[in-house]
Amino acid sequence: MRTACLLVGGLLAGAASLRAHHSFAAEYDGGKPVTVSGTVARVDWQNPHIYLYLDVKDDQGAVAQWKFEGYPPNMLVRQGWKRDVTLKVGDSVTVFGWRARLDPHQGAAREVTFADGRKLAAGPPAGTGGQ
Amino acid sequence: MNKRSLLTLATALAVAAALSGSPLAQSAPPAAAAKPVPRTADGKPDLSGIWIAGGVGLLFGEAEAERIRKADIAAGRPAPPPRQPPPYKPEAEARRQQYLARRGIDDPMARCLLTGVPRITVRPLPFEIVQLRDRVIILYEIHHAFRIIPTDGRPHPDDIEPSYLGDSVARWEGDTLVVDVTGFNDKTWLAGVGTIHSEKLRVTERYRRDTFDTIVYDVTMEDPEVFTKPWQQQETFRLRPNERIREYECIENNEDIVRFEKLLETEFKK
Repeated sequence: MRTACLLVGGLLAGAASLRAHHSFAAEYDGGKPVTVSGTVARVDWQNPHIYLYLDVKDDQGAVAQWKFEGYPPNMLVRQGWKRDVTLKVGDSVTVFGWRARLDPHQGAAREVTFADGRKLAAGPPAGTGGQ
Repeated sequence: MNKRSLLTLATALAVAAALSGSPLAQSAPPAAAAKPVPRTADGKPDLSGIWIAGGVGLLFGEAEAERIRKADIAAGRPAPPPRQPPPYKPEAEARRQQYLARRGIDDPMARCLLTGVPRITVRPLPFEIVQLRDRVIILYEIHHAFRIIPTDGRPHPDDIEPSYLGDSVARWEGDTLVVDVTGFNDKTWLAGVGTIHSEKLRVTERYRRDTFDTIVYDVTMEDPEVFTKPWQQQETFRLRPNERIREYECIENNEDIVRFEKLLETEFKK
């Protein structure tokens, strides 16, 4: 599974675009993809970027809360997201993205995989900065 | 219907008929080939509509971006020319390299400042062009910004204050709308990290609706302070008839700015 995650991460990272999120590279490390699974604790559906908070258990059962930055609402709705419907507190999801440079439990979300296997884009590919 | 309208209609029909017999049209979807470029009552190509330039994949998903790529190939649409780096003088290039080394943390747009021309056009958000008899209005989703561009032959005003979007006036050269933009401040980046400019920037935009579904956008940036020669880029706008301009409010809770400050106090502290 770990291999699969890394492979997917590698493919998505390879699609990195110069048109990515403004100043992505200032805050996030495109060389450090990360995939975490957990329970949605909170969703801040807001401009200019939404934030997803995930409670993630480690192998010892300890819970850490991850925070992922994503697209703004106007971009998410065009890819099938609906506020308060698509992602609800308590949902189990897997988020793929890249690690933040400052906070070890923060990342830039690229894709969310839902419990039923559906996937939706949640944020831009890693980039060097805004086009 | 007046003579000019009849002439326009006849021309459009002739073009459509010619296209329908060409190999290009035969490989394209019939509906796309059959639609002529719409024209206004005065015979100009009508640029009105909701368009997106860059980032189709980001906004509508990779499947949609792939559909457009395949349609372009089927229609024989040439690939856009490769993007050239800015032809900076050494000192300006050195500044750009510094901004790149700082990974774009200084990006004015990331602080929600109004994005200039042409960068505002190529953001992955749509914009609506409203073409009127004497002016063209562009309504951008990003920043909820707008430009009002006179096309009635008037010159730039003589009391321009340097601004983010500059002052625009336009004229028609055949079927191409040519927009002259000047009066910029020096606070924006042109097209990517560190693409600085001075207040002497002059931008010439050329909008040509080459098919019903596309506008070819050629932009030339001139700035004797920073460039050794004009910097040119080309983009293709895609018509999105079922789209609407939504709201994007950049400053609502821009946590990025807070983190930038932390990074500037730590990693980037000199």
